[in-house]
Amino acid sequence: MRFLSGPATFLTQGSLLGAQAVDLGEKFISVRKGLLEFAVLRVVAGEKLYVAEVLQRLAGTEFATQEGTLYPLLSRLRRENLVDYEWQESDAGPPRKYYRLTEAGQRALAELQGYWQHLTETLNRIGK
Amino acid sequence: MNKVTVVSLAGNAFHFEEPAHDAVSAYLARASRALSTNPDRAEILLDLEQAIADKCQRFLTKHKNVITAEEVAQVVREMGPVQDGDDDAAAFRTDTGHATDAQGLQGTPRRRRLMRLPSEGMMGGVCAGLGAYLDIDVVWVRLAFVLLLFPTGGAWFLVWLVMLIIVPAARTPEQMAAARGESLNAREVVEMARRKSADIGKAAASGLRDVERNLRETFGPRN
Repeated sequence: MRFLSGPATFLTQGSLLGAQAVDLGEKFISVRKGLLEFAVLRVVAGEKLYVAEVLQRLAGTEFATQEGTLYPLLSRLRRENLVDYEWQESDAGPPRKYYRLTEAGQRALAELQGYWQHLTETLNRIGK
Repeated sequence: MNKVTVVSLAGNAFHFEEPAHDAVSAYLARASRALSTNPDRAEILLDLEQAIADKCQRFLTKHKNVITAEEVAQVVREMGPVQDGDDDAAAFRTDTGHATDAQGLQGTPRRRRLMRLPSEGMMGGVCAGLGAYLDIDVVWVRLAFVLLLFPTGGAWFLVWLVMLIIVPAARTPEQMAAARGESLNAREVVEMARRKSADIGKAAASGLRDVERNLRETFGPRN
């Protein structure tokens, strides 16, 4: 249960699972699906990013995803007022939408992190 | 040698091999359907178009200006199937994206429904609907209906009348697709293509207006 010790370690050390990852990946698919929103909020919390960059940050993690999933998700997060975007010119090609966390998004992220902490503490406490 | 079509993706023109164009249209049609209840559907579709355009850009060089079918297949795989929010689990199964998107334009044919096609009929669309249902040219159906009037002493007219009353009319694109047994998928693609060409027509018209205004401003009488 080491990997459940906190959000940061869960995100960065997930690959420690190595060979088991295939089975666990399938088993935890709905958990990861539910946490994708969390992961995306964390990714855009640090800096303003456009979609290709968000995908890049998530690539290689358990939360690797694709445009087909990410655009509808970001659009919902924007409807819920958790993220917002601004247009920014780019050197190569048309202007891009840069996403960032809103204040409400920061609060929601803090709440999510607290709850995740609570869940992992619970899991670590029970059954020992 | 392949036929090439010019398409506009998020405001930029691309040269696509025809199968490549079909694959992108089909992808966007599926996306449009997946997002049918999403209030931001139009915006997301535009984002997706832009993402496809960006991905296609990397295949273009100074000496290669056509996007091939294989390249588009790769782009579509990378994009992944579009899902709206709460569709469980599919989000991470990126490998299934290929299977879903390789289905192509046609989708699964549906069972036909007997419906009148008033927009295509001479009167109530009874014969047109029956022709679509039986996959026979409407002319033969009409001819049969008229000829059957003679041996039945005109009583066949009642058959037509009853059908006019009890067979429902197909009015929406969905209903008309159902009457023909086409999958809505294919029909949506056609609809989308029609809308697109209408937009291009509008753009051309406004372009012409600009030219006209410029000419007037340059050469017109000064006040």
